[in-house]
Amino acid sequence: MRRYTLNISDREFIVDVQEIDADNFEVVVGGETYQVNLASEENLAEATITPGFAPSAASAAAASRKSAVSRPAPVAAQATPTSTPAARKPAGGGKGTQTAPMPGVILEINVKPGDTVTRGQQVAILDAMKMHNVIGAAQAGTVAEVFVDAGQAVDHGTPILKFKE
Amino acid sequence: MIDQETIGLLLKGVNGVTWQSLVMIGISFVLFYLAIAKDYEPLLLLPIGAGCLLANLPLSPLVASDGMLKVLYDMGVGNEMFPLLIFIGIGALTDFGPLLENPKFVLLGAAGQFGIFLTLLLALLLGFTTNEAASIGIIGAIDGPTSIYVSGILAPHMLGPITVAAYSYMSLVPIIMPPVVYFLTTKQERAIRMPYSSRKISRRTRILFPIIVIALVGTLVPFATPLIGMLMLGNLMKESGVVERLTKASSNEIANAVTLFLGLAIGSTMVGTDFLKPSTLFILVLGLLAFGLDCAAGVLFAKVLNWITGGKVNPIIGAAGISAFPMAARVCQRIAQEEDFENFLLMHAMGANAAGQVASVVAGGVVLALMGAGG
Repeated sequence: MRRYTLNISDREFIVDVQEIDADNFEVVVGGETYQVNLASEENLAEATITPGFAPSAASAAAASRKSAVSRPAPVAAQATPTSTPAARKPAGGGKGTQTAPMPGVILEINVKPGDTVTRGQQVAILDAMKMHNVIGAAQAGTVAEVFVDAGQAVDHGTPILKFKE
Repeated sequence: MIDQETIGLLLKGVNGVTWQSLVMIGISFVLFYLAIAKDYEPLLLLPIGAGCLLANLPLSPLVASDGMLKVLYDMGVGNEMFPLLIFIGIGALTDFGPLLENPKFVLLGAAGQFGIFLTLLLALLLGFTTNEAASIGIIGAIDGPTSIYVSGILAPHMLGPITVAAYSYMSLVPIIMPPVVYFLTTKQERAIRMPYSSRKISRRTRILFPIIVIALVGTLVPFATPLIGMLMLGNLMKESGVVERLTKASSNEIANAVTLFLGLAIGSTMVGTDFLKPSTLFILVLGLLAFGLDCAAGVLFAKVLNWITGGKVNPIIGAAGISAFPMAARVCQRIAQEEDFENFLLMHAMGANAAGQVASVVAGGVVLALMGAGG
């Protein structure tokens, strides 16, 4: 379980997140327990949590009563103040980080920062269950940063690369 | 000096050439070609081809009463030991994690064995005996060791063609399976995304799983005990983590040595006079049909699951309900990715595939029980 302590407009919120499996979480906020289903996950930008960041995420958590949210707040560890709801476009148009779709080992990285890719273009090969899986670029754009090296083991959701804004 | 008799002795080899042996030598060349040039299951088809070539050379001392190939056959094929030894290695290589994460896929494994029984009925209609028909049906599971095991008990005289069919089709999974899937699914169905989801499977669960399966399957389907026992023994060794040397030996050294012996011995059963019969052709065709029907049954059942869950199951993974672990699952992933490059349903397909691996063994045991094997 992970505990996130968020300061939102000078009020402190304590959010406990228990991972049940990869896309189901039990979230405890203010003594109330919510079953949260992660419907989709997009990394819109890369940053660490800062005390002031949370508005969008916290509102998402608040809105999550009973219904599934597009993204459980505390998992949004990589979101930044710039990730306002308006910036949340589907993967095609959005900008941000591409993550590993399943656990495995990165065999090849086919791009480097500065490369321009088209959507679907091979950016890496992920070995999962001894199968070589081609990872295609989630969007067209320029690669800003590559986070993994060949030979590195990744988990579901490990950032692979980031696109330029 | 050189009289007729001496020439006869010297030319005994040449005179021993028959048209059947020539055809079989040609077949061994085809097997070599598939193994070496096409890279289709070379670990099996190359030794089988060699066994076939050696057994069909004139007079072939290797298949005489003390010949090496005959000794190998008696040592491990006639008494079923080789396929069982290979199963230990397969168990040590199989990861049942994806199945334990999604236990509902055990249903897909069961559905994937449906074609076995349809083919069995069809083979009966074509005039095969019940034992022969059962052995042919098992080919559909694309599970080599189980096919050898079942036909070795029920129809040893058909071991050659059945083994060749089972292993050839295994290598042809990437070619035979996709058309069946495409035929039975729509573009929208193939594009259904199944995001990765995992539960943490505890070590205790992973260790208990093979033990419970042995006890449960062994009690319900006693004829499957040898196969499931060896498969799960291998898996128990792997998951326990305490006998790494045995796990490695079973999945590498022992499996490799036995694969060589098994291939040679099976190849040596392909002697022209026995092999070149119309029934061989029927076996190959019916085996292919059984394979197609197994895939189709799995896909159709996955469509039912998809309907029940309200569109959350991609029917492609049903095709992984046959055996042929893990190739069938990989082919499913490839088909899915052709429709949508961001769809990674590999782990779900692996779950169905691991279920198929167990289910084909159980199906083999059920068939043996139905045929009243072992008296």
